[in-house]
Amino acid sequence: MSINKLAYYPGCPSDGTAVDQDMSTKAVFEKLGVELVEVEDWNCCGAAEVEDPKVVYALNARNLAIAEKEDLDIVTPCSICYYNLERSNKALKADEALCTKLKGIDSSLDYGGKIKTKHVLDVFVNDIGMDEISSKLEKKVNVKVAPYYGCYIGRPPETAFDDPDNPVLMDKLIELIGGEIVPNFNYMKTVCCGGPLMMTRGDIAFDMARKILDVAKNAGADCISLACPLCGMMLDGKQADIEKALGITIGMPVVYITQLLGLALGIEPNKLGLNKNAVDTKEILGKVV
Amino acid sequence: MPIKTWELDPNFKNEIMGEAGGERLASCFQCSTCTLGCPITEIVPSYNPRKIIQMSLLGMRKEVLSNPDLWVCLICQTCTARCPQDVRIADVLSAIRRIAEREEEAGNLKIDSPRPLFDKAFQHQLEKYGRLYDIGLAKEYYPKKEGSFIKGMKAMMKDYKDFGMRMFKKGKMGPKAMLAPKVKGRAVIKKIFKEMGEE
Repeated sequence: MSINKLAYYPGCPSDGTAVDQDMSTKAVFEKLGVELVEVEDWNCCGAAEVEDPKVVYALNARNLAIAEKEDLDIVTPCSICYYNLERSNKALKADEALCTKLKGIDSSLDYGGKIKTKHVLDVFVNDIGMDEISSKLEKKVNVKVAPYYGCYIGRPPETAFDDPDNPVLMDKLIELIGGEIVPNFNYMKTVCCGGPLMMTRGDIAFDMARKILDVAKNAGADCISLACPLCGMMLDGKQADIEKALGITIGMPVVYITQLLGLALGIEPNKLGLNKNAVDTKEILGKVV
Repeated sequence: MPIKTWELDPNFKNEIMGEAGGERLASCFQCSTCTLGCPITEIVPSYNPRKIIQMSLLGMRKEVLSNPDLWVCLICQTCTARCPQDVRIADVLSAIRRIAEREEEAGNLKIDSPRPLFDKAFQHQLEKYGRLYDIGLAKEYYPKKEGSFIKGMKAMMKDYKDFGMRMFKKGKMGPKAMLAPKVKGRAVIKKIFKEMGEE
């Protein structure tokens, strides 16, 4: 393993709806011997709501510049933050005029293009590596998982780090820790959860999330695994609202991949925030041996 | 309805291609891969990105900018990933939405979707605090969407009462989530929106 220290970009939901993802990410990296240094005074990446790319690049120039001062690459557990950080990083590295303009706006936006930006899933599998993780496993997580990747892991092409139609990085980790990938879920792996429309077209968003939950349930999954806090809010946080609105019962536990990995590394469930998921996770804990 | 050629705006495609993300519009050869792979089309059958692109190329400016379907795109990037011509459809649609928002601000158009209000309310949180403040976002968005403070609060309760209680019980709505974040560099964020943005 070549890395031992990374800048950590938690993203806005880390203090609230995705505090479980934040806790489990920190705990897993600690166990894997990688120190995370939070990007000091980080600002929002722009999420999906800031549509003007120029503003997104500027917002992230500040975050990138802070990490660059520490000479650290950035890792984030959020797929949307990753997409915004990575596309900004690429744009800023390629466009000198843009960098000069940003420097003129404020000295804190002076980014030299020297660091990399990564998603936690990418770091686990491709940087830390399966052998290293394997050597630290303490338990077998004997669960049937529907691995749900969402949008920005395999798309768009210039920032993707996995296959656009059948991504596999999460599958690899699940198999490594003793889990089983359910059959017949592959075609839902990258279909959007509806999250971006939650506040403006909740009806569409509920319909989209329901499809994912249904397919996972019909495939016989014990849980869905995720790598994005917006997917977490839709599939886990909103699951009871979806059940109520559509008059159905689902009851599908939804966990972050960092929570599953943490269990296999022998970390205490509460330290992974597994008591904070909206849909009860006790059944999963019973399958950790 | 036949297209009235004398009502077309031949410059519309250049307008879109002049926006960040809209540059590749003219490469479209109408294969419809974007539309066939789109997860929204299953739910909203009228939604057709291929058609929006062709109408844009033809110069049907008014029809495109006032199409309510512009606002149901999730920006999930499936179309962009699959497009054989690298049109970057999700970015093109985003460019078109920004033109529509400017037209509405100028009083030339009424957008039939609350999404611009939501996006603006979201951006205002970043300008004020440097990060997203969920409560501030809901307090700004709902009254604007519903037309009055009382109606807005009622709609917010309807959408978020159960969810909020659920999150509170699970310890996800603690003091840290309830209080507004205050990024020290928030003055810079404000400057970014002023200097780089279109507002």
